[in-house]
Amino acid sequence: MSGAASGGSGKCWNMEINVKETLRYLGYKGREADAAVMELVEACWAELETAAAVRSVYREYPLSVEGDFIDAWVFQTVSRDLAKNLRGCGRILLLAVSLGTGVDQLLKRYSRLQMSKAVVLQAASAAYLEDCCDGINASLKAEYGQKGLYLRPRFSPGYGDFSLECQRGILQSLEAGKRVGITLTDSLLMAPSKSVTAVIGLSRTPLNCAAEGCGECRKTDCAFRLE
Amino acid sequence: MRVYQGSGNTPGELQAQGCRGPQAMRVYQGSERMEIMGILETVKERKLFFDGGMGSLLQARGLKPGELPETWNISHPEILRQIHLEYLRAGSDEITTNTFGANGLKFGRDGAYSLERIVTAAVENAKAARESFRQEILEAGGPDAAQRAAAVCGYIGLDLGPTGKLLKPLGDLDFEDAYDLYKEVVLYGAWAGADFVLAETMSDGYEAKAAILAARENCDLPVCATMIFDSRGKLLTGGNVASTVALLEGLGVSMLGVNCGLGPVQMKEILREILEVASVPVIVNPNAGLPRSEDGKTVYDIDAAEFAGVMEEIADMGANVLGGCCGTTPEHIAGTVARCRNKKQTLPAPKDRTVISSYSQAVVIGSSPVLIGERINPTGKSKFKQALRDHDLEYILREGVTQQDHGAHVLDVNVGLPEIDEAAMLEEVVKELQSIVDLPLQIDTSDIGAMERALRIYNGKPLINSVNGKEESMAAVFPLVKKYGGVVVALTLDESGIPETAQGRIEIAKKIYRRAAEYGIQPKDILIDALCLTVSSDSKGALTTLETLRRVRDELHGRTILGVSNISFGLPQREIINAAFFTMAMQNGLNAAIMNPNSEAMMRSYYSFRALSDLDPQCGEYIAVYGGQTGSLGMSAAVGGRGGAETRFASQSGTGAAAGTGAGPGRQAADLSLFDSIVRGLKERAQEAARELLPARDSLSIINEEMIPALDQVGKGFEKGTVFLPQLLMSAEAAKAAFGVLKDHMSRTGEVRQKKGEIILATVKGDIHDIGKNIVKVLLENYDFDVIDLGKDVAPETVAQAAIERHVPLVGLSALMTTTVPSMEATIALLRKEAPWVRVMVGGAVLTEDYARTIGADRYCKDAMASVNYAEEVMAGVAQERGADGGTPQ
Repeated sequence: MSGAASGGSGKCWNMEINVKETLRYLGYKGREADAAVMELVEACWAELETAAAVRSVYREYPLSVEGDFIDAWVFQTVSRDLAKNLRGCGRILLLAVSLGTGVDQLLKRYSRLQMSKAVVLQAASAAYLEDCCDGINASLKAEYGQKGLYLRPRFSPGYGDFSLECQRGILQSLEAGKRVGITLTDSLLMAPSKSVTAVIGLSRTPLNCAAEGCGECRKTDCAFRLE
Repeated sequence: MRVYQGSGNTPGELQAQGCRGPQAMRVYQGSERMEIMGILETVKERKLFFDGGMGSLLQARGLKPGELPETWNISHPEILRQIHLEYLRAGSDEITTNTFGANGLKFGRDGAYSLERIVTAAVENAKAARESFRQEILEAGGPDAAQRAAAVCGYIGLDLGPTGKLLKPLGDLDFEDAYDLYKEVVLYGAWAGADFVLAETMSDGYEAKAAILAARENCDLPVCATMIFDSRGKLLTGGNVASTVALLEGLGVSMLGVNCGLGPVQMKEILREILEVASVPVIVNPNAGLPRSEDGKTVYDIDAAEFAGVMEEIADMGANVLGGCCGTTPEHIAGTVARCRNKKQTLPAPKDRTVISSYSQAVVIGSSPVLIGERINPTGKSKFKQALRDHDLEYILREGVTQQDHGAHVLDVNVGLPEIDEAAMLEEVVKELQSIVDLPLQIDTSDIGAMERALRIYNGKPLINSVNGKEESMAAVFPLVKKYGGVVVALTLDESGIPETAQGRIEIAKKIYRRAAEYGIQPKDILIDALCLTVSSDSKGALTTLETLRRVRDELHGRTILGVSNISFGLPQREIINAAFFTMAMQNGLNAAIMNPNSEAMMRSYYSFRALSDLDPQCGEYIAVYGGQTGSLGMSAAVGGRGGAETRFASQSGTGAAAGTGAGPGRQAADLSLFDSIVRGLKERAQEAARELLPARDSLSIINEEMIPALDQVGKGFEKGTVFLPQLLMSAEAAKAAFGVLKDHMSRTGEVRQKKGEIILATVKGDIHDIGKNIVKVLLENYDFDVIDLGKDVAPETVAQAAIERHVPLVGLSALMTTTVPSMEATIALLRKEAPWVRVMVGGAVLTEDYARTIGADRYCKDAMASVNYAEEVMAGVAQERGADGGTPQ
């Protein structure tokens, strides 16, 4: 199964969560922001809503994992962390999500004119993108749950030892360039910048560990780590 | 038309590589295709049919995931020929070469699978299929077999797909590099014998422009373009149907349309929009519905019969060329041909629309007056001139954004100053402006070289300012208008000067229309400038201008433009005259005004005129703009309803979480000191406070005793973790605004503030994220360092060269990803070799203290304040050395 979705407006904002997440990305670590910053955060979300054109695409492929070697049909790689994540899965979902070029244009505009707004917008758009991914994840979970399949936590190239080189295979197989507008630079950065690729393992058995969030990540000194 | 010009390969170079030249190509084509009408003639006679999908058919025949389909042109020519043949049998008049992904990024210059071989083989396969099909008809015999064989069109479309890269500034591919990639394919494909060029599946107008220019400049074949729109009628990069059609028609495509992305059902609405605005034949090549994947293979959800049924509706709506894209097969095309073959062909009527565009929107110049902001122009503005000399782009960009916020529809861009390189500056300003402002631009220059450079890299269909009735001017400007597709401002003056009478100006306008027509430029792409001279020197001047406007409208049925502000030159309170004249001009038919949108008086004229002329239904816009104002007329707060950054701020203050927790940016406590307003990041208040302090104190003491301590306090708070990044930057911005006030004062009094030294900042090669570097820049500038910002994706050589030229003591480098740290390392190594005196500080998400040491940096800066501290340290060292040497190192 695969799907492509596009949208952008009409999103229901939970401003409390949006603000909280934005501040987390800004390094507030649970502290309160002053009124001026709060206003900036809200203004950024309002502008994000008009600038973002969320597009996503996913496809399902056969998967085999032997030791740390992963063969996901459209890419092959050796990764201890990903192999651990995918152990026991016979199929894999590849996913790409982007907020589109409009958000990058907005970031560029404020980078030239008002850096304070640019950094808040940067954090807000990261939170927005993550929120979109969670939403897609939830609908995939429901869809596959009906078929008796369980989703592993989504895992992106660049996490742990999952090589960025796999971006090429993932984006190519999803035809991400023409379907959602994601391209790769020579150094494997995605453009537009507010884009995500991820893989999600599908298995017949649920995984009994708290692998959501940051628990499994070995980068324990990360500034954004969720406790 | 100019053939084979441009950068990169010359015909000589290509012939040396063993290719046939343009002459050979034409001879070859002529001899083979003498008996067949060209594609552009055929489309006038009847519905034309393109072929369908290629990728899915190749997959069905064994193409592996990840395998480049174009290699099959050489490894499996028989399969390619078979697919082309099946499409011809199905009734396609056209076959598209298998070159969608063929470009220099994927294929090299040498070897068995060189780009030249791939493209040549693609065209040869198509030609072979066409020949086989003719033979088949002859061999089958029957009545008129020879005639039917000869009548096979089999037009070969040279396929140009997207490069797979996003163009700068959002991606890493330069416009001219994209052009060169396409140019190469066009040259090979044209020699090999393609009949026309088809740029398709383009999701970015800018990339489409590169492809079309490359085709138009390097061969003499017709060029067609189809774009990929989403179901809302938008390109992935934000353009809409109107802006895209304006761009494509401006660039001279022979046919245009839509392909891929959607099924035929979803394309109907896009087609309807295209037909409303297009003047050239329209192509519709849908997918076979919407995709899903089954076991790694993509399948589509509608079959041939259903496809053909919808295609018949599309033909009836007015599409001129029908074909298919992903998932369609010869069966889909055969069904479509059967249903549509005998439909009457009606080409789109030429539209009398004067339209310009930016990357994202079209602006129609017609009954409702269009406002062209005049402020990006150094004439009579000493600050603007200084900004140009100082290469202060931020100042210029702010002028643009402010005008947009006040309601401008278009921005005039004039950066001519005798002592600067106007061509380079104009190109740079246009690139910068179009990356942060979505309004169309008016390229304003008398330097033809500068004009061409700006038109080339402009992302849309521009306004061009200007041509006039002099032969020399028309001979220089019209070819550029034709080639790059703009609307041009035509001044009604010629070798004999400015006619004193309206009749004289009308005569020049007629001459300009005539000469333009010889270049293929239509009257709709010309705005006649009726010219206005100051009324203080000629009391009849305004009346002459107004009469000219009326007569252009009524007698010539043309469109007009005026630089409105000239009328009041030399008079006091110029706004009063300007606004009154503006209203009179609009009433006499003015279509576009070059004016100051920041002037409230001018905007009042505009909104009232629209309300009074049935251009503003129920006075809705007028009420939206002025409804909130009470009492006497001051400057309105939210003009134009466009809601720029600052206006939104103001309107949102006091809402939600901000309530009751002290002064937000919307409420700038009137009695705060300069120190406090900087600490709290209040920009406007900081400016006011600086002004209040000035009469009593000198600038330097204000800086040293109020501002620096405030910045230090915020900086220390940031280091301790009690102040966060947004606050740090808001304080920096408040300080910068206050500095601006003091700087003006100092330039009047002659006070001088010593800068601490120059620092180069750059985001390293391969890295296109520059937010970290920009944060550091804001902070360093606040602490009086001169920052030389080299931007992002900067090559090691560029950094080294700048470090040597300016002999800077310190370079700051930023890298975001592990993949770009190697170029940071390379940059440091080169600096060590070429500029050994330079200290290097580094920062960025993936870096750590250890990592920085490994790649040879002098200092890892974990945040912006750390960079400031290290810069102070380095500069103090430099100052000490200077003291010891008794001189400067330069």
